[in-house]
Amino acid sequence: MSAGGATPGAEGRPFGSASSESWEAAARRAAARLAGCTIEEAPAALRELLVLWLDGDPYALPIERVREIVRLRPITPIPRVPDAVRGVISLRGEIVQVLDLRRRLGLPAAEFGPDQRRHRIVVLHGEDGQMAGLLVDRVSEVLRVAADALRPAAPRESDAVVALVPHGERFASLFDVDRLLDLGRRAERSAP
Amino acid sequence: MAARRTRSGGRSKAAREFVSEVEDLLERMRADLADLGDQRAAGALEPDLVNRLFRSAHTLKGVAGMFGFEGIGGLAHRLEDVLDDLRMGRLATDAPALDLLDEAVAVLAAEVEAVGRGDARPEGGPALAALMARIADALRAPASEPDDDLPAIDPTLLRALTEYEEHRLRENLRRGRAIHVVEAGFELLAFEEGLAELTEAARALGEVLSTLPSPGDQPEAQIRFSLLVASDDPLDVFEHRLDLPHATVRNLHPGAAAAAPEAPNTQAASGGRAPASGAAAGRGARSPQGAEGAAQRAAGERSSSGVKASEAHQDVAEAWQVDRKDGLEGRPSDAPAQLEAPSGASANPQETANSDSDAPDEDSPRPADDLASLKSISDTVRVDIRKLDELMNLVGELVIQRGAIGAIVDQLLLEPRAARLGRELAKVHKTLDRKLQELQAGVLEVRMVPLRQVFEKLARVVRRLRRDSGKDVRLEIRGGDTELDKLIVEELADPLMHVVRNAFDHAIETAEERLASGKPAEGTIRIEAHQRGNHVVIQVADDGRGIDLDAVRARAVARGLVAADAELDDKEALELIFQPGFSTRDAVTTTSGRGVGLDVVRENVTSLGGLVHIESRRGHGTTISLTLPITLAIIQALVVGVGEQRFAIPLTSVLETLLVDDAEILRSEGRELLNLRGEPLPLRRLHAEFGLPAPAPGARQAVVVVGLGDVRAGLLVERLEGQQDAVIKPIQGPVRSVRGIAGATELGDRGTVLVVDVAAIVEDAARRREAA
Repeated sequence: MSAGGATPGAEGRPFGSASSESWEAAARRAAARLAGCTIEEAPAALRELLVLWLDGDPYALPIERVREIVRLRPITPIPRVPDAVRGVISLRGEIVQVLDLRRRLGLPAAEFGPDQRRHRIVVLHGEDGQMAGLLVDRVSEVLRVAADALRPAAPRESDAVVALVPHGERFASLFDVDRLLDLGRRAERSAP
Repeated sequence: MAARRTRSGGRSKAAREFVSEVEDLLERMRADLADLGDQRAAGALEPDLVNRLFRSAHTLKGVAGMFGFEGIGGLAHRLEDVLDDLRMGRLATDAPALDLLDEAVAVLAAEVEAVGRGDARPEGGPALAALMARIADALRAPASEPDDDLPAIDPTLLRALTEYEEHRLRENLRRGRAIHVVEAGFELLAFEEGLAELTEAARALGEVLSTLPSPGDQPEAQIRFSLLVASDDPLDVFEHRLDLPHATVRNLHPGAAAAAPEAPNTQAASGGRAPASGAAAGRGARSPQGAEGAAQRAAGERSSSGVKASEAHQDVAEAWQVDRKDGLEGRPSDAPAQLEAPSGASANPQETANSDSDAPDEDSPRPADDLASLKSISDTVRVDIRKLDELMNLVGELVIQRGAIGAIVDQLLLEPRAARLGRELAKVHKTLDRKLQELQAGVLEVRMVPLRQVFEKLARVVRRLRRDSGKDVRLEIRGGDTELDKLIVEELADPLMHVVRNAFDHAIETAEERLASGKPAEGTIRIEAHQRGNHVVIQVADDGRGIDLDAVRARAVARGLVAADAELDDKEALELIFQPGFSTRDAVTTTSGRGVGLDVVRENVTSLGGLVHIESRRGHGTTISLTLPITLAIIQALVVGVGEQRFAIPLTSVLETLLVDDAEILRSEGRELLNLRGEPLPLRRLHAEFGLPAPAPGARQAVVVVGLGDVRAGLLVERLEGQQDAVIKPIQGPVRSVRGIAGATELGDRGTVLVVDVAAIVEDAARRREAA
């Protein structure tokens, strides 16, 4: 079930929305090919998930919440916000916060090294039309799975993980995007 | 205009057009209704106001009909009926009538809103139907009886007047005012201006009952007008005060002040023929006794040189009637035939005009006014605010591009081989810069609207509160012309409403309490706005009980906001009422004077980059000041550096910048401050404020002196990196607001830079200074 397609052009060019669309289209095509049907024929019960990696483990996001994927770019830090917020980037004139997903999940910080070139910012459709960026180690593919293949997440998983998705020999943890973006407390920290 | 529609399904273009068309109209009606209520309270009703309301209702009816909103059109029509009865004196202008009007406008607004949302039914909602029934009831109520004990008015004259004009004439006679006729001739090509001047001058002395072009033997290129004016001044005083050399005045009725009832006849006789001579002799001629003039004119006059009062009246009547028919062209027509026509026949269309939907056009008492208003409408373009936002964004992008060109120019100038090109580009860049600034200023200006709209809404709220509570509170409004960005004005309405309601509900005492403490029974709330530099200050002041600081302290302790043994000075205690959670909906706040939901007010105002300041004196009242930037869209920013990071500080709040050594930084009770020309200036280190690493000790630092309203503070930074235009963008993402950060901006080659929320930082600094 794993391989399928390393998605072509998985990194949208910065400032190019067209590239992200074509990437999405390509992902859909690839996924449809995987399932052996045309896009139109794809059964509704199939879910398309973006697979991303953190600290060597696979995670998944519902593709419909993904707006685009961009390469790592300078992130302007912002003060007085929870640790998980790395800062902001400018995306075609819009200012978008970027969450460090490792920090958000309490994973060890990424090590410097050649792997950093594969880091991506996954830009999500957040609540009320607001965007939000997720800094991840890398993205690998779009997975098509039948809805009934999802397994409930173990109680001890992170609060943002709602299900486990079979991914080759292992399981990818499926995020609930809204919970992921809910930083849980009033983020504004009062002045020191 | 859009094609006729019978359904409003969806937010179609037509629906949008309708809404934008009608919104202003409703707004004006609300304002006029507000004035009407005030005037009624003051006891002097201005007839023009009811007329204007009538015209607005009429226009609304027409527009609604054109777009197929029958419900709205129907209600507007009923509203017209009510207003017509009001102006005709058939319906008393009392509280129930005003309430009915208020409600009608509110229902209309709700319907229009529904159209805007796209879920309106053409026939209107249930509220509309209910109101229609109530209006029908009100109109069935017995009409007031006409007074018959009025001084006799020449029936010929009466016939020449519309029903409304007659009503106003009677009304003025009842009040014992004198009635004069003012006549003047104007150049045909420029008569609007002259007539407007004349009307204005006459209006200053009384009420202009009717204006009409009058026939006569005037020169070809001239047109004459007669104004029927009611005034408290007798003829000689009136004439003297009017002081327009080319106008002639004669008297029709002397009013109560004159001695004998015969007086009008003699006066009319002596002055009756004068106007014509004025016309014949051209501008500047005036012959009060009229002997020569009358003789001169008699030859060309149809009704000969009769000098009896009735004939003078007739003369006027004739003029009125003829021109009613001929309109503004002023062609003399077959007057005698008109005079002989029986009243009620076609010769007198006004009597039927009121049930006619075109009544306002027929009735309109001042042609000059109508011409002026028509003109102003055609000069104005209504624009969707979103379009302005788009324009603003575009200008913002251009500004950023211009910055990028500037950077290229700098590079070129450093390159010896390209220096010549660089200099030329620099010139072009400079011109571009100037034009861009003009463009920017132009777009910004278009977005500016006066605060009056919001203030009028507040006045409405106070009136309603006054009616509901029976509390006697006067509202004074000043500075309604002060302009602010449309967006800010919109966002300001709620917080201001909150503050005013608070003042009304909690600050102003009952009449008994007030009298007991030696204040006038009537409370006063004063709303005042004025511009100060790049900011606008809005103050809401009441003369109520003031804030009971002991009660505030007690409440704060009870709510766990401060420790029971905390020592708070008065200013700190006052600040507590802005704390979230200080008051709740169920809290009884009469003891604290004010403070319900003030945290929300502060939050709203701060999010607009503004400041809230409060002052209160126990027993004397409370003043809440809101300081707001004039615009939010494009700002000039000072770019500063702190460690590796850059921040932008809106230049509007920067007073000055200085370089300081560590040695110059003073300390007082652990707080840092600077001696700024003898005044202590509290300092905030931006790196500490934002949790950034501290700079190496001993380094030279810069202080950005910022001020908002009366509060000042110094921000310590490491570098000043110059000015730049910036478009502040909101920060999207899971963290909705960061205190101290107003947004972010893209600075061309310098990447994304956070914009410092000076208001928040200054406020924090002030609060901490007080708390320390």
